[in-house]
Amino acid sequence: MKRTHIILLVLVAAAVTIIVSMFGDFSTYETFASAAKEPGKQYHVIGYLDNSKPFEYNPQVDPNHCTFYVKDKAGNTHKVIFNGAKPTDIEKSEQIVMTGSIQGDAFRCNKIQMKCPSKYQNDQVAIGNAS
Amino acid sequence: MDTQFIGEHLMPGKLGHFFAILSFVMALFSTFSYWRAAATENKDLNSSRSWQLLGRNGFILHVAGTAGVFITLFYIIQNHLFEYHYAWRHSDLSLSPKYLLSCFWEGQEGSFLLWSIWHCVLGLIVMFTAKGLESRTMTIISLVQVALASMLLGFYIGPDIKIGSDPFILLRTQMQDAPIFSQPNYLDFVKDGNGLNILLQNYWMVIHPPILFLGFAATLIPFAFTIAALWKGEYKQWLKPTLVWSLFTGGILGTGIMMGGAWAYESLTFGGYWAWDPVENASLVPWLLLVAALHTLVVFKATGRSFIITIVLMSLMYMFVWYSTFLTRTGVLGDTSVHAFTDEGKALYWHLLAVLGTLLVLAIGLMLVRWKGMPRVKTEEAVNSREFWMFIGSFILFLSAIQISITTSIPVWSPLAKAITSKDIAPPADVIKHYNDIQVWVAIIITLLTASILFFRFKTSDTKTVLKRLSITAGIAIVLSVIMGITQKIGDARYVVLLFGSNYTIVGMIYYAIKVQKMQLKKLGAASTHLGFGIFVLGVLFSSYNKEVMSINTMGIMMDFGKKNASENARESMENVLLYKDAPVVMGEYTATFKGDSTSPDDPRVFFKVAYERRDTVTNEVKESFVLYPDAFVNPKGQEENSMSPNPDSKHYLTRDIFTYVTKAYDPNHKPTDDTASYKTHKVHEGDTVFTNDGYLVYAGLNTNIAPGTYPQQAGDVAVAAVLLAYDVKGPVDTLFPIYYIRDQYAYQADDTLKKSNLYARISNIIPDEKAVELKIKQAAAEDDYIVMKALIFPYINLVWLGVIIMSLGFFLAMINRITKKEKTATV
Repeated sequence: MKRTHIILLVLVAAAVTIIVSMFGDFSTYETFASAAKEPGKQYHVIGYLDNSKPFEYNPQVDPNHCTFYVKDKAGNTHKVIFNGAKPTDIEKSEQIVMTGSIQGDAFRCNKIQMKCPSKYQNDQVAIGNAS
Repeated sequence: MDTQFIGEHLMPGKLGHFFAILSFVMALFSTFSYWRAAATENKDLNSSRSWQLLGRNGFILHVAGTAGVFITLFYIIQNHLFEYHYAWRHSDLSLSPKYLLSCFWEGQEGSFLLWSIWHCVLGLIVMFTAKGLESRTMTIISLVQVALASMLLGFYIGPDIKIGSDPFILLRTQMQDAPIFSQPNYLDFVKDGNGLNILLQNYWMVIHPPILFLGFAATLIPFAFTIAALWKGEYKQWLKPTLVWSLFTGGILGTGIMMGGAWAYESLTFGGYWAWDPVENASLVPWLLLVAALHTLVVFKATGRSFIITIVLMSLMYMFVWYSTFLTRTGVLGDTSVHAFTDEGKALYWHLLAVLGTLLVLAIGLMLVRWKGMPRVKTEEAVNSREFWMFIGSFILFLSAIQISITTSIPVWSPLAKAITSKDIAPPADVIKHYNDIQVWVAIIITLLTASILFFRFKTSDTKTVLKRLSITAGIAIVLSVIMGITQKIGDARYVVLLFGSNYTIVGMIYYAIKVQKMQLKKLGAASTHLGFGIFVLGVLFSSYNKEVMSINTMGIMMDFGKKNASENARESMENVLLYKDAPVVMGEYTATFKGDSTSPDDPRVFFKVAYERRDTVTNEVKESFVLYPDAFVNPKGQEENSMSPNPDSKHYLTRDIFTYVTKAYDPNHKPTDDTASYKTHKVHEGDTVFTNDGYLVYAGLNTNIAPGTYPQQAGDVAVAAVLLAYDVKGPVDTLFPIYYIRDQYAYQADDTLKKSNLYARISNIIPDEKAVELKIKQAAAEDDYIVMKALIFPYINLVWLGVIIMSLGFFLAMINRITKKEKTATV
């Protein structure tokens, strides 16, 4: 066996180890109910904003605190606390992906991704001076 | 066509569509002709020549067609022909001319077009320089152009299957169902387009996409040469052009990627130049593979070894270019990317997979056919040879690319994982940490290898000399690292090693340039590229390790964030700070004051003026003061009221950047009028205090001596002024004299105001029996003028940019050197 082959094998073995251990890093998509089974553990939850409940953000009290309600894919509505400024256009989003964990009665998240209906490519014809 | 529509310009669209078809047909024709030219080369030279000529003409006509599409589309956008969907969707009347080209890269069709245009330019150069490999290389280039040209066709096969997307489609065809298009004069209502994504309205976005696409397009050339060499079964002629083109591609693609980083840093608000976003990874992975292939190619040229890994890496590199396109364009990434493009439907999905499949079959097929005759060297490399270590370095780069791909591709393979493990796998909760934790090791190994390898020679080296030079390098690097590590307070063991690694590379390359290359500019390519890499890594290390959030909020609520310690929790939850107008807030060693906003008529943005002051802690002297103008698009077109899209502003120092952006602001267009605040009545005796929003007033009694001109006086008035001493937190500010006067038996008041605090004072009544007055105080809520802001410090970020520049220069130096160097091949 060539020396290069041995080194290659070692490197590949190391790479496989790293890649396998990488899977521990990966998060999973959960619902509020399944995330609540392990409070404090970071999960991804997909849902949409429940507009029937109030969205609270008062920067004059705390610019890093939003409270709102999200309905997850299973249809359960849960209180969500986001530590940060209110994400622009969150009311318009059709889906939000939150990264965070259940803590007490709320899902506390530090990252929000929104899917907005054609956020930048608004497919609605702007009609001017229509009679 | 039942309805005759008024005011449409149909000619450009028809012309454009004709050009698109011409471009597609000619690419096909050129592919076929070049293929015939290559196939008949050994049998019938004359016939081969004629096919080659046909292929050339075909390619030139293809270039003309593609250019025609480009110019027509540009004409449509420039003339605001909103009857065309593309112009309507991606531009508007207010768009400034410098962003007209940016409309191309906002849309799917436009970016494919740009990619295709660069292939045309590069293809023409290859056509005239590839010599013996022309027919084969050009077959591959033309074939890829067939794939790209088909993206612009918009042909239907049956009712459901659509090939490509026509950029010249009319608005009324695109949206047939909208009732407005049944009116012949519908254009009278479509006055303006939707406009260009505001994020793209940044000067980096004028320059970054064309460079990045040039880099992306250039990856085709080394790949085409590699396939051509395999096809021909001849591996000598292929070396030089592939090396030159790989250097060109490495330089351009690298520059393009980091220009994207510069754009992200300056106009996106994720607070940095790199976020391991799938779109960024999509261009980084081919670059890493290309750099790996480039190194093994150099090894092959010098020693005849590493041939197989070179062609595997080259092919893989180009597969990843198309795979990246697939990832970022088809919407398959879905939720995981901040700026993944919109879903363009199933058609594109299969279209791209078909292209990827074709290229894969082509590359693997050829490799299998040529497997036996591939150049191999039976003996083993020596451990003290350059090629041995270069091979390992390239393999590390390859592994790094694979790791990035696996994580980026989670949305692609997670359905499979779900079927097996019934777990719905999501990207890591902290993506950046995930990549950093793994890639830091790659960076460590690469920096350590980089400096060492260049001191070795190919085949075998004088171990003594090498060790001597390496110990000198390591010695200096250790001293530098200790100094830097202490001054920059770098504690984490991994980063200490990385610090040493980058210093080792920097020192090593400077030493190598002086000692071995004797500072001959032509030969400095390798030293410069690797020096740039070392500086870049150092810059990344400093700017991210010691990135500091200045705007730690000291008045918010403390939250548990699952972080390891309290200070991290605090940091996470309080990175935004609230600034009321004119109320100074301490941030780090600075005091920041929000001074107000400003707009200008020819710019849709609102600029927020934030003044910074740094004072000496002892003497309270102002040491430094500057103003930053983070800005934002407030209420951008097509978005909701009260929404905003902020752009950061930074103060640049040689050693660090202060980076700020506004995360939230009151709406400057809907400022509350002064009347929203109402007067409050306070009964005061002499010496009493009235508290205000930002200080207090002390009533110091009445005064009948009224300075002339303070109110419109008339003869016979009986007037008295209340003396109000105004204080803020720092001390006395001003004295107010609201006046109460009796004219013709009626009582009147004249308010006095404290402009700075929006304070209005009025005497509503005088009660002589109690020696008191009733004051009415109104303060238009100063809180209505506020911004929520984030401020970060990036130390030594200039090293990042400097490193990139030196690295790119190195690529081009090396390229020029390879072009001008006389051939002396050591190949088998």
